[in-house]
Amino acid sequence: MASLIHFLGMMLLIASFWILVSSQIGACIRAYATHSFLLALITAVVAWSQHIEHLIIPALLTLALKTIVIPHVFFRIIRRLGIRKEVESYINIPFSLLLAVLLVFISFYATGEGRFLKPAAFGEFIPLAISTVFFGMLMMTTRKKAISQVLGLLLIENGLFLMAITMTFGMPLLVEMGIFFDVLIAVMIMGLFVFKIRDAFEGIDADDMTVLKG
Amino acid sequence: MMTIDKALWMPLIFAFLCLIPSPKRITRLTFIAGAVISAIGAWGFVFGASWSPRVFAFNGNLMMDALSAVFALLITGVGVLSAVYAGGYLFKEGDGSISPLRLRRYACFFHLFLFTMLLTVFSNNLGIMWIAIEGTTLASAFLVNVDDKKSSIEAAWKYLILCSVGISLALFGIILVYYSAIAQAASGESGLLLNWTFLLSKAKQLDPQVLRLAFIFILVGYGTKAGLAPFHSWLPDAHSQAPAPVSALLSGVLLSCATLGILRFHILTKAATGSAFSDTLLIFFGVLSVVVATPFILEQKDYKRLLAYSSVEHMGLAAAGLGFGGALGLYGAILHIMNHAFTKSLLFFSSGHLYYLFHSKEIADVKGLLRKNAFLGIIFFLAALAIAGMPPFSIFVSEFLILSAGFLGGKYISCAVLLLFLALIFVGFLRHASRMTLGGPNTNQSKQSGDWGRPNYHFGKEIKSLGGSEEPPKVERSLLMDSVLVVGMIVILTMGFYIPGPLNALIQAAGRIAGGTIL
Repeated sequence: MASLIHFLGMMLLIASFWILVSSQIGACIRAYATHSFLLALITAVVAWSQHIEHLIIPALLTLALKTIVIPHVFFRIIRRLGIRKEVESYINIPFSLLLAVLLVFISFYATGEGRFLKPAAFGEFIPLAISTVFFGMLMMTTRKKAISQVLGLLLIENGLFLMAITMTFGMPLLVEMGIFFDVLIAVMIMGLFVFKIRDAFEGIDADDMTVLKG
Repeated sequence: MMTIDKALWMPLIFAFLCLIPSPKRITRLTFIAGAVISAIGAWGFVFGASWSPRVFAFNGNLMMDALSAVFALLITGVGVLSAVYAGGYLFKEGDGSISPLRLRRYACFFHLFLFTMLLTVFSNNLGIMWIAIEGTTLASAFLVNVDDKKSSIEAAWKYLILCSVGISLALFGIILVYYSAIAQAASGESGLLLNWTFLLSKAKQLDPQVLRLAFIFILVGYGTKAGLAPFHSWLPDAHSQAPAPVSALLSGVLLSCATLGILRFHILTKAATGSAFSDTLLIFFGVLSVVVATPFILEQKDYKRLLAYSSVEHMGLAAAGLGFGGALGLYGAILHIMNHAFTKSLLFFSSGHLYYLFHSKEIADVKGLLRKNAFLGIIFFLAALAIAGMPPFSIFVSEFLILSAGFLGGKYISCAVLLLFLALIFVGFLRHASRMTLGGPNTNQSKQSGDWGRPNYHFGKEIKSLGGSEEPPKVERSLLMDSVLVVGMIVILTMGFYIPGPLNALIQAAGRIAGGTIL
């Protein structure tokens, strides 16, 4: 059991790195889908091993929404936008990889032994969750394309979901469902805005948006 | 009999009623009637005597106490003013008007926005409150961008992204609170663990260290939404690009709702840690917001951004008031949030009038308002004095209370800084307002354009004393829009002299809850 958990955790970290290093937006989305799939698996394993039946629903929802629906929406968006270009970043990929490694170290250090967060089980996931959140923020701050920023936001959300699952065995079901609903609506609205940005700015570079100052 | 459910259902039902394809006139009627009926319902519910001290609904996930009652009054009150104003502002006939489909969508999102804000203040479950606050961002993003101009899209995008990231930090804080509750929970209580009332009753058993950490995340997260510096960068963009009635809602009540979110956690943290940790943080970010907003107010060139930065200032002041604490500080802060909501929305409404008259958001383009349109000039000038803290307007009273609380609490340095910067802001506002209202009218007439955002404003009435030989602009006076200005002015003037008894009792009760009284 423990080794399975460790294995899934490792895979999750690899998937997070995969999102960061992908140079094509399509690969980024596939990496996000994989990340979400692993998240669903981890949720299922937690639910099964701790006998927490209500966690099955978030696991299924993660599988359905984040692994299938949202990546599908993203692929439709990039097909309609006709994006072939690579992911554009303010810093190059090796450097963001370096930063990412640093962030993983920080999250392991900050939540290491003797700190005051001591969950009943699965403590090793907390640094993973925090580094996923960090990765998402890194993506949001360094990527130029509006669509990569949305992916960054989703990555943050995945990290927080993992945090909730492993620290507290999931929030109450009602809240969990509400969060899923919000995420879905957010993706749809942001997707619509990506089209609006494309029409108004003739491109989806978020750093073209410099009209408003002061 | 009104209940929380009904108060929440009304805006939701009207949101969908507004979507029904119908002539513009009918949509407008549904739209305004929806806001009015929701307001009557909520106000009737709040002042109906049967709910005190608190009433629960939906398995304890929803709750109304005096604190949420005050905010519900605000949301629906400003909501009605804003809906009536929008009825004149966006639903015009003639060339350059907005297409009926867009208007229906606008009306729908407007009511959804009201619904999410009401849900925010009525939620007892902290998770549901988070969902509702994220919902406010999603519902209002389309309201910020009504015209698909470059600048509006940029503002809406920044608003969406920044607030969503901020809010996700707040979710982290909520997970931490839940974690600290789970560690102490007895079996059978698992459904209650995120309920604010439950957490408050068990506050002593929660891990204070975890709660401190959680409060920092909540403050940054909801603080982004509340416009506290240095997380306020979305605010001037969104407020300046949104149409006037939406700016009024954003500034008047959305920021207040986010502040309520912070306040709920502040009460909890204070009860759990028994220390002034969260007070200090609130004072720090509050004072910082006032300081950061000042130079932008003094040097501002765009009058809507001027108002937006003033919102940063006033939210900072309210946060500082909550931090100063004591019965006086809490009462003052809640009163301040209320006064700010009405005064600032009045100013944003008059900014809509200004934009019609001058077709520009530049302060430099607005000159001789008093001679061009005396009615608007007087209202705008008085409202600007009011927001700067001039007696006898209501803002003065609450600012005075907050500062007195600070001095009584021995926070001399914070109070001195606040006083200094409030004085600077006062001077800045006076200068801007007098430049805009006094003096001769602008001679170089701004360009007219056909799109709906810069409509031809046809004067039906004769305008007296226009300088020079310029063509008297024609304005179709909208009775709806003008009456909103008059009502707003009456409210802020009256609140400066006299707060009606039931309202005063309500604010006092809210202050007691904010002080941590467990009822």
